[in-house]
Amino acid sequence: MPSRRDLVRCAVVGVAVATALGAGALAWSSTLLGEYSVMDMGDGHGGEGAHGDAGHEHRGATAGGGTGASGAITTGEVSVTSLTADPDRHADVRVELVARQQTIDVPGGRSVDGYTLNGTSPGPEIRARQGDLVEVSLVNESVTAGATLHWHGIDVPNAADGVAGITQDAVPVGGRHTYRFEATDAGTYWYHSHQVSHEQVVRGLLGAIVIEPATPPADAADHDVTALLHVYGGQHTLNGRVGDSRVDAEPGSTVRVRVINTDQGTAAVWSAAPYRVVATDGHEVNAPTAVAGQRLLIPAGGRADVAVQAPPEGAVRLHVGGARSIEIGEPGTSAPPAPQPSETLDLLAYGDPARLDFDPASPDRSFDYVIARRFGIIDGRPGNFWTINGNLFPDVPMFHVREGDVVAMRIVNDSGEVHPMHLHGHHVVVLSRDGVAASGSPWIVDSLDVHPGETYEVAFVADNPGIWSDHCHTLPHAVDGLIAHVMYDGVTTPFTINGEAGNQPE
Amino acid sequence: MNRIYAGLAWTIAAAVVVQASAIAFAFGGVLNHVSEGGVVDKALLESGGAGGSGELGFWIHGIVGAGVIPLLAISLLIVSFFTRAKGARLWAAIVLGLVVLQVTLGFSITDLPYLGLIHGANALAVVVSAVVAARLARRSRLARLTRAATEEATSDAIAA
Repeated sequence: MPSRRDLVRCAVVGVAVATALGAGALAWSSTLLGEYSVMDMGDGHGGEGAHGDAGHEHRGATAGGGTGASGAITTGEVSVTSLTADPDRHADVRVELVARQQTIDVPGGRSVDGYTLNGTSPGPEIRARQGDLVEVSLVNESVTAGATLHWHGIDVPNAADGVAGITQDAVPVGGRHTYRFEATDAGTYWYHSHQVSHEQVVRGLLGAIVIEPATPPADAADHDVTALLHVYGGQHTLNGRVGDSRVDAEPGSTVRVRVINTDQGTAAVWSAAPYRVVATDGHEVNAPTAVAGQRLLIPAGGRADVAVQAPPEGAVRLHVGGARSIEIGEPGTSAPPAPQPSETLDLLAYGDPARLDFDPASPDRSFDYVIARRFGIIDGRPGNFWTINGNLFPDVPMFHVREGDVVAMRIVNDSGEVHPMHLHGHHVVVLSRDGVAASGSPWIVDSLDVHPGETYEVAFVADNPGIWSDHCHTLPHAVDGLIAHVMYDGVTTPFTINGEAGNQPE
Repeated sequence: MNRIYAGLAWTIAAAVVVQASAIAFAFGGVLNHVSEGGVVDKALLESGGAGGSGELGFWIHGIVGAGVIPLLAISLLIVSFFTRAKGARLWAAIVLGLVVLQVTLGFSITDLPYLGLIHGANALAVVVSAVVAARLARRSRLARLTRAATEEATSDAIAA
């Protein structure tokens, strides 16, 4: 027979346990996101990303930006759906891409379950000429979760950005969506799904798109090849094949290799012979010099165009990514693999300086994007998650801008892993890293690796109205909260995330 | 409660052994993958599959290390408040502290590889403290049983 004291003790324990469980359940359920709109994000945090810029010695006084509170838009509201290319203009390049959920045949390797476009992965390479109006119709034949196409690196009008739940609804099975944009900047880009992207991109819903210059430059390469890197089920591929490739090139001729890193981590490019980095993320490098004994690192999602000269005799081997390479030279010749240099080419001081078409010295808005990590719960899921400016998703900043603003952003990585930061719809110019000012060619990117402990200062012109994701392109990191948005004043979206349309952009 | 406390403590110790086995298995897989011509780079690492045939080892190490063991250690501390064993709370706190340190070290190794030296050694500290806690509870239980038996014997003697 339990004593009265034991009974009291049991009751106290019972109440304590019940209270703890109740409080825990309440705290947990408060993290559930349900259906939400990005319009509601960053409420009350709008100014948090902004700072007065004190302590940035090489910049003058700035306006503390990010003041507009989301939802506080008064007049002239514009929906993302109306931010399109000229609807009356005739398309110069017309492509239909049919997305399917199926087994991907990986030449040279084993087949894997994934996604294809027009029956292959990577999907067909799209080639357009600068100034063309490109029109791509996405038809979803069998991708159960729905699909979209995002034009990675191309500064498309917002309606064509392809982010499920922000600029469109995911295209359901049997649905169709048309993307229209002008191919304004010549360069190397790629397209991929931005619906459940951490899964659909990894499993192959992607392809290359190259915009050729309107008039070929005087120093145009003799050969132009694409090197799209992707890992399928643990197999490194080059343009979808498990195997190396070769380019037959006469001695002295130049080969432009457009390396596209569609993977989730940094890719290295190197060669025993000198090479030049002629473009990064679709922007030409000014006066690129020969690189020898150094490797070039391309962030996840990033691209680099590398020029290699075929040797007087024999061949050279350009390593693209850790596992694949391209042999360049006369037919029948070969070159041995070269060990990867440990020294990395620093693009902060590569090439010659050139004038920018805007003045980043006196920005209209200044934001902080500080990445760290801590334990917490996101959408009912406990884990060790990324934080932005100290807070877990969805309490991340909203970077409010007005069209025409010059925007400065300080990206700080206080976490232990590299983050390839990707801003949609814009290109940023790197101003400095860890206080060291850029001294080479304007380093213009849409995907930037920020290593642990590094601080980058970048700037861009807010010249493309819309709501734009600004996230880590190691896509599982975006799922784990490493995503924020740039929002133009007066722009709204009718789309929601987690709603009936099943939009899950990350 | 002593029994539950001891059970949890032994499970933590056993889970650390699983961790050591799993990570050795995983790195065996990496070496095997590389020796057969495979390449491990950041692309492979982030998409899974860097462990080759030992990939499961990375999974086990991650789930047991960042999930199972921390939950067990928290449970041990909670249970310690309901046991009568002397020092139970102290040793449960020590176990939890070492586990928190261990997880923090684990997540920081990519950036600061030298921390791996401490991560490996600290694993043994977790095992030792968990075993101390388990034996503490067992000793306390045995002592109580002995006391009870003695008391029973005494009362029997008086009744006789």
